Amino acid sequence: MTNTSSTKKKENASSDWDWLVQEDRIHRTVYTDDNIFVREMDNVFAGTWVYLLHESQIAQPNDYRLAWIGTREVIVSRNEDGEIQVFSNRCTHRGATVCRERRGNAQSFTCPYHGWRFDNQGKLFGIPGKNAYGPAFKSRDMNLARPAQVASYKGFIFATLNPDAPSLLAHLGNVARYMDEWIEHQGGEDNIVISGGQRYHLDCNWKLVYDNAGDGYHVPFSHQSLLVMTNERYGGGDMTYFADADRSNMHAYGLENGHSIIDQRPDMFANSAWNQQRPQPGRESYVEHVLNTAGSENAQAVLESTVGAGMNLNIFPNLLLIGNQVQVIQPLKVDSVNVYFNATRRRDADVEMNTMRLRTQEDFPIVGEMDDAANFEECQRGLTFSPENEWVDMSRHYETGKDVKGDDVVTGPVTSDLHQRNYYAKWKSLMKANPSLKMRKERLK
Amino acid sequence: MEELDESQSQLENEKGEIKVNTRSEKDSMQPKGLEPSPFSYEPCSHYVDAPFYDWLTEVSKDLSFADIRSEEVVDEKTWRQIERLLAVEARLLDQDAFERWLLLYVEECVYWIPSERSAHDLRETVALEFHDRRRLLDRVSRLGTGFAYSQIPPSRTARQLSGLEIWPSPDREDEWRARYSFTLAETRVGRSRILAGWNGFVLRQTSSGLKIVVKQINLIDCDSPQGNNSFFL
Ligand code: FES
Ligand SMILES: [Fe+2]
Repeated sequence: MTNTSSTKKKENASSDWDWLVQEDRIHRTVYTDDNIFVREMDNVFAGTWVYLLHESQIAQPNDYRLAWIGTREVIVSRNEDGEIQVFSNRCTHRGATVCRERRGNAQSFTCPYHGWRFDNQGKLFGIPGKNAYGPAFKSRDMNLARPAQVASYKGFIFATLNPDAPSLLAHLGNVARYMDEWIEHQGGEDNIVISGGQRYHLDCNWKLVYDNAGDGYHVPFSHQSLLVMTNERYGGGDMTYFADADRSNMHAYGLENGHSIIDQRPDMFANSAWNQQRPQPGRESYVEHVLNTAGSENAQAVLESTVGAGMNLNIFPNLLLIGNQVQVIQPLKVDSVNVYFNATRRRDADVEMNTMRLRTQEDFPIVGEMDDAANFEECQRGLTFSPENEWVDMSRHYETGKDVKGDDVVTGPVTSDLHQRNYYAKWKSLMKANPSLKMRKERLK
Repeated sequence: MEELDESQSQLENEKGEIKVNTRSEKDSMQPKGLEPSPFSYEPCSHYVDAPFYDWLTEVSKDLSFADIRSEEVVDEKTWRQIERLLAVEARLLDQDAFERWLLLYVEECVYWIPSERSAHDLRETVALEFHDRRRLLDRVSRLGTGFAYSQIPPSRTARQLSGLEIWPSPDREDEWRARYSFTLAETRVGRSRILAGWNGFVLRQTSSGLKIVVKQINLIDCDSPQGNNSFFL
């Protein structure tokens, strides 16, 4: 198959990002081109702040866990004193991974290949047969490499390899206030406990997952099976308010630095959100328990606090706070991605409420997300097998004048492609840049 | 856990078609002090409560325990009945006969896919899937809508079961536990893959025959990212 269009030339010209990403459409190669993916891993992932994990996932002294800055694998580790360090899972000797478990508890990591030993702050402290090394070697920094910047926002740990990246707070910008609302729904920052998760591998570009997180348009179509089932079995309920979404009270908001939110709360909480939840195992026993423990005057409020947060809060490029889940996108290749649906419990809740939260968080992944996932994979196929069809559309409500610019927020109809247009502007500016990427191996003080 | 009369909700009409009643006639319970719900979430799920979770935790430990059991504890007739039931269970899934498949389960049943290798306490860690009868009916109904895109076209599956072990439940005379290893070959949209692991079961003799109370599906890679498992495992 020969491609006679000008596409080939254009996609490799790094100066031509404005052509690849236009205001209301994106070139297909942004989803299919290996070189673009490799540049994304540097410019979009390593070059800006990326979410790694939540502090509750390494709660105890010496707990550690693997995490990823795009395709770069790091260890996030807590030491004896509770301090958190992030360092590359790459031995400074010959490059072997020093840690082969996804999570655990360890005071040190011994590289399996030649036995170099690193403490759980990444410091090299043991080299077998050290006498064989000379002064030149000893003058080099050989500790495990740490990203240029690591910071936590209320328990959410982020890192970047870019020493010149603005602070995490500046990167989050006005999404921080929505994160605060999400955290408040969970009863505050010290209250959140990640409690396992569903994990998926999809054969599609990571951005198809990110696109969907702010897509208020697809619900009655991609999730039609769910809406039909809910209607036939129960006479309606969860998400039915998406059927005529542009007439609803829900909106999409474009925030700073590519972040966005689809806010379902105006409709989800307009009537009892608890009553609208698709029924979970043990729902009725839980209601009885709440009536017994909270009393009939407080019971409804307790039930309402058990439901999801009613937000799709999209923190560019890889963190999605959806319902009560902390979802993380891990790109693997141009057409391959892992997605983690981390479940949450509350420290202040009784076991019954937390159990109900977990049962609720087992519903959508298997009855909803899988249909989206099938559609993402079919998008990837279509974008790949038909190179003459060059464009991916994101012009919904682009020309209706319904995206309204406020001080620091653009407000649009909930089915607007505002989310995509908003993050692609950020994506493009990152892809045009030439960030310096640094990992430090010098001794921690 | 109380035994329910199966015949009320599962009817086989003259043509041999099976109807699973998903809505009962009686009004759903509306406790005082709560906002009235416009939705009727039948069949109710009263049975999934604290003692039930305690029991599931104990069952899960027993199913996964590295035991050496004596051969003699289950009589031959029971063994054959259970062996046959488990073979039929797997075959009906291979045949996409989901409503008929559900007839093999007691009303108050559980379908459980743990998300960790040593099955966790369901009150502390989320499962890949955990369904009571109502949510199983949701899933069967969803697959039947004609819009469940993750199963259009549907997965075709072939299950191989081996190494069946059966032993009596410690707490009931009419109940047994069983496990076997499986490989599940799946193909969909021109791509084939293998899922593997072991299934643990609780089985009970009821007035309408031997039935499944719990099916626990233990994938060897349950803690790794999964593909499209939107059919029944
Ligand atoms: S590669 Fe790690 S010690 Fe040699
Ligand atoms: Fe969706």
